Amino acid sequence: MTTSTRSAPSRLPDAITDPATGQRISLLDWQAGNMRASWLLGAGVVLMLVAIAYLVALALEPGAALFFVVIAVVVATGMTFAAYWFSDKMALAASGARAATREEHRYLVNVTEAVSLGAGVPVPRIFVIDSPAPNAFATGRDPKHGVVAVTTGLLDLLDRQELEGVVAHELAHIRNYDIRFASLLAATVGAVVLMRDVILRAMRFGGARGRGRSSGGGKGQALAMVALVVLLIVAPILATLLRMAVSRRREYLADATGAYITRNPEGLASALEKLRDFSGERLQVSEGVQHMFFVNPLAKRNAHGLFSTHPPIQERIDRLRRV
Amino acid sequence: MTSTIVVLVLLAALVLFVVNIYNRIITLENRYQNAWSQIDVQLKRRNDLVPNLIETVKGYAAHEKEVFDNVGRARAAMAGAKNVDQSAEAANMMTAALGRLFAISEAYPELKANENFKLLQEELSSVENKIAYARQFYNDAVLQYNTVIETVPGVFLANPMGKSRHVYLEVPEEDKAVPQVSFGATA
Repeated sequence: MTTSTRSAPSRLPDAITDPATGQRISLLDWQAGNMRASWLLGAGVVLMLVAIAYLVALALEPGAALFFVVIAVVVATGMTFAAYWFSDKMALAASGARAATREEHRYLVNVTEAVSLGAGVPVPRIFVIDSPAPNAFATGRDPKHGVVAVTTGLLDLLDRQELEGVVAHELAHIRNYDIRFASLLAATVGAVVLMRDVILRAMRFGGARGRGRSSGGGKGQALAMVALVVLLIVAPILATLLRMAVSRRREYLADATGAYITRNPEGLASALEKLRDFSGERLQVSEGVQHMFFVNPLAKRNAHGLFSTHPPIQERIDRLRRV
Repeated sequence: MTSTIVVLVLLAALVLFVVNIYNRIITLENRYQNAWSQIDVQLKRRNDLVPNLIETVKGYAAHEKEVFDNVGRARAAMAGAKNVDQSAEAANMMTAALGRLFAISEAYPELKANENFKLLQEELSSVENKIAYARQFYNDAVLQYNTVIETVPGVFLANPMGKSRHVYLEVPEEDKAVPQVSFGATA
């Protein structure tokens, strides 16, 4: 590996192609734009949640509208905060990861320390998952609480440059605050779904009661009911779609940032190629954490779709080679 | 009355704007200075590993005196460096000298099979890699700093603050020509 080229600032790939528009834009601008778009999205989901609660209240108990809204806000905030604060512990427990030691995994520790220096983030806590399926993930609510976990299968499969690429991709998620946002968004979407279930249940009771009184029910109440039903069906789907779109976009950004940190898009591209061609045991993870991984552990190979958390691997490789 | 308020508000906005740029410049300056200390940590660590390496290699290739002398000189230069420039120069010397040493060790199969040597080689190539990454981040930080103090609006404040363009860490040409030994192939 020629380490010397790394110091030449003239080679900075400081612009990348925006997958949405195909235009060349600065990496930093994209990062900032992504951040803004993501927060807007999160705020949109929360607003939708509150709107649902409000409509429920109007349809069922107009007098208690404020109460419903307060409950909705408290539940949503509580869930998102818990997800944000405990994201690392939950993810580590869910994947059965154990802490890597310098003695046992000297190579992984050295690579991670080196790439952290290049990314300008504190060295994350490093974990290993005993599984032949090559994969990795990052978690932690901010760079100070960063965690990187890789499977033993990944360590066996990749050479140093490829491993550097994967670790850089994960550190990019940490540096871009993707984990914070992803867990917030996941929790918010979860809250929307939970809300739907609670309301549907309540409507079965409240609906029966409401029909008894419906002779005196106002026009507004009926309208609210219609709007509510539409929202209840549409909101969870929309929220999930938005979440997946954000997740895919962030994977591209992490790839681009990872290539930038290592100054070596080929390392990451070649790692993705090896993972694409890997045909062995899959990593056993629950659906709730699939978005966190380097490549989607659940999706069919090169799955393309609005509901997938990751872009197709081939597309990621092609974009890296075009950097 | 109204015009006074308008003037005051504009003035306050201007002050906030200037404070913002000032803080940005200081933040970026601190960043590259901190980035240098990260490089320094790795350079010191490399210097600490060297005597052990020399001892080990001498056990198998005692007559390669010139190589040992080069490493020793680089180590002394490193220890005596008084500023960033001298450290950087000594660091480049050390990189070249260690490159030679590892190139020569290829000719001694018993040395290459020595457990202690293998461990030192992994550690030293890791440190080398960390230095490369730390330099890269340093140059990134300097680039950001230079950009801010050379573009509007930072350029208006840079002069009064006594800030000027900072230099990048360059890798000398002859260093690039040194055969890169086994870095990356230790997996």
